[in-house]
Amino acid sequence: MDSSVHLDNVVMQFGDFTAIQKSDLKIESGEFFSFLGPSGCGKTTILNMISGFLDPTEGCVKIGGQDMAGVPANKRPTSMIFQNLALFPLMTVAENIEFGLEVRGVSKSERKKASDRLLELVALEGSGHKKVSELSGGQKQRIAIARALAVEPQVLLLDEPLSALDLKLRQHMRTELKEIQRKTGITFIYITHDQGEALTMSDRVAVMSAGRIQQVADPITLYRDPKTAFVASFVGENNAIQGKVERIDSGIAEIHCGELGVLKGRVQSSVAVGEEATLFIRPEHFRLQAEEGMLSIAVEIEEVNFEGAYLTLSTSTAAASKQNLTIQLGAHQYNDDLAKGKALSLSYNVSDAIVIGGDSNA
Amino acid sequence: MLNQLKARFGSGLAIGIVGMIAIWLIALVIMPQLLMVDYSFRPNLLPADIGGPKDTYSLVNYETLFSNQIHLKIFFKTIWSSVLVTALTLIVSYPIAFYLAKVATPQKAALCLLLLIIPFWINEILRTFSWYIILAYKGPLNAALLGLGLIDRPIRFLSGDGGVLIGMVYAYILFMIFPIYNAIESLDTNQIKAARNLGAGWIRTHWRVIIPHAKPGIATGCIMTFMLAAGSYAVPALLGSPGSRWFTQIIYNWFFEGGNWNQGAAYAFLLLVICIGFIALVMRVFKVGLGDIAR
Ligand SMILES: Nc1ncnc2c1ncn2[C@@H]1O[C@H](COP(=O)(O)OP(=O)(O)OP(=O)(O)O)[C@@H](O)[C@H]1O
Ligand SMILES: [Mg+2]
Repeated sequence: MDSSVHLDNVVMQFGDFTAIQKSDLKIESGEFFSFLGPSGCGKTTILNMISGFLDPTEGCVKIGGQDMAGVPANKRPTSMIFQNLALFPLMTVAENIEFGLEVRGVSKSERKKASDRLLELVALEGSGHKKVSELSGGQKQRIAIARALAVEPQVLLLDEPLSALDLKLRQHMRTELKEIQRKTGITFIYITHDQGEALTMSDRVAVMSAGRIQQVADPITLYRDPKTAFVASFVGENNAIQGKVERIDSGIAEIHCGELGVLKGRVQSSVAVGEEATLFIRPEHFRLQAEEGMLSIAVEIEEVNFEGAYLTLSTSTAAASKQNLTIQLGAHQYNDDLAKGKALSLSYNVSDAIVIGGDSNA
Repeated sequence: MLNQLKARFGSGLAIGIVGMIAIWLIALVIMPQLLMVDYSFRPNLLPADIGGPKDTYSLVNYETLFSNQIHLKIFFKTIWSSVLVTALTLIVSYPIAFYLAKVATPQKAALCLLLLIIPFWINEILRTFSWYIILAYKGPLNAALLGLGLIDRPIRFLSGDGGVLIGMVYAYILFMIFPIYNAIESLDTNQIKAARNLGAGWIRTHWRVIIPHAKPGIATGCIMTFMLAAGSYAVPALLGSPGSRWFTQIIYNWFFEGGNWNQGAAYAFLLLVICIGFIALVMRVFKVGLGDIAR
């Protein structure tokens, strides 16, 4: 069955405020798709448009190729897991799960069968008679998933469903969600402001900022080849160095970074000679020993943080501009020499650095 | 409580405050009620006979109601009409309360609440009298209906119970709207969305999610409206016809026209008992406790 979701040039405005800028996006059938972005960027608004609680100001939402304009929320093949779960507190666990089937006129015995099967799926067999208030956070979470799956939706919408859980449970639920998605094969649209969550679970991720979709890509591409300065600094850690483009040659830009001299990196997008650009180098791409073809930057250690498996060094350049750079090293590289005040030469491969046009703060 | 007050105001003032509350409760609330109950069991005697051998306790005053067919009929009609007023008020108020709590934008809701409250700054008699004018045989409502061609002869709204019902629904609507509004307001909007999202139509969403949540508010509204309706005097006096007398009017007559306080007290006490019974019934039906209602 085609359960793709197409946001066909949608715009969402509240009064004069544009919550979603014109976006065109196709989510494939059976895909685990995430929207990642900071609070207030419009993630919930997108889900509300897909589920029918909001009508886009312009454009339309298509599910399975069908235009959803005029189809009310209760007639759409979507099911949502709310940011605060929104379980019905006055109903038992089983009644919660069966609600969607009750609406569809399914007989009591069939409903019971379905809720038993779903409780088993979320590993909560035998809790059907319990009150919602008797459940722990993680259990409530799983009941919300079971309730949403009970109506056999084509598209499951998840609005930061794990944000209220503690770290351990969150990691556990990630694997469970992924597993449920694999078993059921339905389209998952997942919303989060946690990049770890988005990167580990998704087939593809859309990174959003202030109502605009910045980039849509699979997690590895997003990490390696961010297309905008926002994506480069929002997804993973990144060091940003401002400069002016001097030369572009077969995909490599040379940029003049003030007192740091000329640095190079792969051209990523909208870079033009003579204009401002930002060079991004991830902390793990710096080396302490220069190899053939690497570029180097002289710095001084400001702080050493030992974090278990790895080590981060905060450094700043000797130059008056005091450019801050963060470096990540494997824990095995630790030695007593690495202390505050020590001068280092940081080297990087040109292919690991990327250059994006414009000011990174823009 | 006394200790808290002592800590705050010192023991002299604390005892003063508690003492005053106690005096107020005992002298102005409990004593008069007990006195009425006491009256109701004693015969109506000349001042000279009070305390004499004829002054004995009996149920005679209560029996009067059951032997007077007219009074008994009015008694039951009052209860029944008050139930009807309560039901009508609920039907009118629930959609308004829901609209105010969940549909209207906050600005609109505030405006509507203000518009609902303003008429209640005018006293009940005047508000009720305005309905007398509106519903009159040659009044504006009949004129409008005639003008629109919906009727070809004016309707006598004020001759049956209709005028009283309309007047009471109007007089007590806020006592129904506010508790329900507060209850629905406190419902997480995502609950409504969740029900919709799972495929529920509007009727089922109200029936299974919103009304169960609003039950304490609905119970409170029903109890208040019923009590006010059953105990109302001004509305039936103004909008009623001789055929639609209210039980309170009979009680009034015993006290101030019949001069028989003992008889009046018995009638008033019976009305009170029925009202308390109604509260108990509503709480049973809605499965709510006193705590839920006081919330
Ligand atoms: N009904 C509405 N009326 C007016 N503005 C709204 C409405 N709903 C959302 N907004 C605005 O749209 C923007 C996006 O809101 P949205 O709820 O989609 O954010 P979000 O990305 O889900 O944030 P969070 O991660 O905090 O949940 C916000 O600035 C919000 O104030
Ligand atoms: Mg949100």
